[in-house]
Amino acid sequence: MSMPAISVESLEKYFPPARSGWRALLQPLARPTERALAGISFSVQPGEAVAIVGSNGAGKSTLLRILATLILPTRGRASIAEYDVERHPSRARYQLGYHTGGDEGFYTRLSVRENLGFFAAMNNMSRAEAQARLALTAERMGIARDLDRQVRTLSTGMTHRVGLARALLHQPTVLLLDEPTRSLDPLAAADFRRLLKDDLVREHGTTLLFASHTLSEVEQIADRVLLLEAGRITAFDSPRRLCAASRAATLEDAITHLASHPARAQSQL
Amino acid sequence: MNLARTFGKIAAFFMRDFAIARGYRGALLLETLEALFGVATFYYLSRFVESPELTRALPTGSSYFAFALVGFAFFDYLSVSLTAFDTSIEEARQNRTLEALLVTQTPLPVILAGSAVYPFTALALRTCVYLAWGALLFDFTPRSANWAGAVAILLASILAFVGLGVMSAGYSILFKRGNPAKWIVLGVSSLVGGIMYPISVLPRWLRFLARLIPVTYSLEGMRAALLGGAGWGQLWPSIAALLVFAAILIPLSFAVFAWAVRRTKVTGTLTHI
Repeated sequence: MSMPAISVESLEKYFPPARSGWRALLQPLARPTERALAGISFSVQPGEAVAIVGSNGAGKSTLLRILATLILPTRGRASIAEYDVERHPSRARYQLGYHTGGDEGFYTRLSVRENLGFFAAMNNMSRAEAQARLALTAERMGIARDLDRQVRTLSTGMTHRVGLARALLHQPTVLLLDEPTRSLDPLAAADFRRLLKDDLVREHGTTLLFASHTLSEVEQIADRVLLLEAGRITAFDSPRRLCAASRAATLEDAITHLASHPARAQSQL
Repeated sequence: MNLARTFGKIAAFFMRDFAIARGYRGALLLETLEALFGVATFYYLSRFVESPELTRALPTGSSYFAFALVGFAFFDYLSVSLTAFDTSIEEARQNRTLEALLVTQTPLPVILAGSAVYPFTALALRTCVYLAWGALLFDFTPRSANWAGAVAILLASILAFVGLGVMSAGYSILFKRGNPAKWIVLGVSSLVGGIMYPISVLPRWLRFLARLIPVTYSLEGMRAALLGGAGWGQLWPSIAALLVFAAILIPLSFAVFAWAVRRTKVTGTLTHI
């Protein structure tokens, strides 16, 4: 078996408890005692699409943010390709693209081209390389005709595509997405899902790890589903096998069943 | 239009913003202290303008206007050094580009330094405009100026101030608002740094304090170079003092900054507003 694209071993994350009033002044120095991830382990193979599913506060975004090198794990290890995200964050970032559904992090007065050009430069791409990649990526994302528009004039769906283009511009092997279709209308979301599954995963072999609350989306895109509850993995298998194991007709029924019977789900890990 | 409803909405906006400000108690306290520095500055200015020390303190042949103009123009370098770094982080947080920047292959210190280039360039232009207006319209005549010496003082000053700015950015990353590093340094510097009056009008303990901050050496050197036409031998003590500040503050500030970034990655608050 080839080396995993994403590897997580006994990963734990604790945050300092929220404080209010004068005690909030010392919040940044407080000891992390609130558990977000409880020693989870899993791996994702190259070219695989894995969905992280779980209730709010289950630890989905925390896991993605650790993998994206935005926060540090408390204990354990996480790596992208062979690069440990804590010890070699820069090398790990070279392998990954990260995009969140609520991502509007652009310089809105600049054009799409200027924004993507700037982030290409931040990813060590030369101007010539960036221009060539930008043309290709814009074509794939369906934003080629909008490259010279200011970002503030784009629709939400189009801004999402630009966000995804930004994440893909440096040709990462691993793509991390946090609720990628959160604020999209149904048609734009369907379009976006096709783009992820058909173009990125099937055609280009990009490894996809995404968090989602939309189970139809999970069913459509994911090869495997990682069910996370209170910082623990309660199930990790293909949608079909999760349905079979819980004798459910739909993935929604299976997830509901597994979330309410964590002990039974654990036995399937 | 229902006037009462409109006033009600305005009141709601006020209450919302007041509630947010109340949440940053440290910032409120520091703003009060900042006002004290401002009042004290104008007090000493008034003493100086009325005193015979004026002629003794000015470089030969220069006016109080030239003295103050150089003070104002070059004090901005301290202000910009202290604000450029944390402002760039704050803006990136507000427009949500910080997270997108942090997942690129550009480390945060580079993001910080890159974001400061434009403010420093704009400031250099602004300084030229200040001096040009002074020369064109208000009898500012730096005829015997040592321009090369002025540039050397400026570069040494920027190096000395940048350390303070990076440390200030470290504080902003950790605590988000109410940056005491910025306010204390700017407040103390504007009070005792000799922007509008020479430090000789200050009481002895404030003169001692003035010798502990880089802006004093920066303004002394700049005035000597631009207004007094001082040679390298006369400028060297100011340049050396500024380089000592830089040698201490730059490594210290980067250590503080690195610790602050690591800490926010532990608490998960790096990109929080």
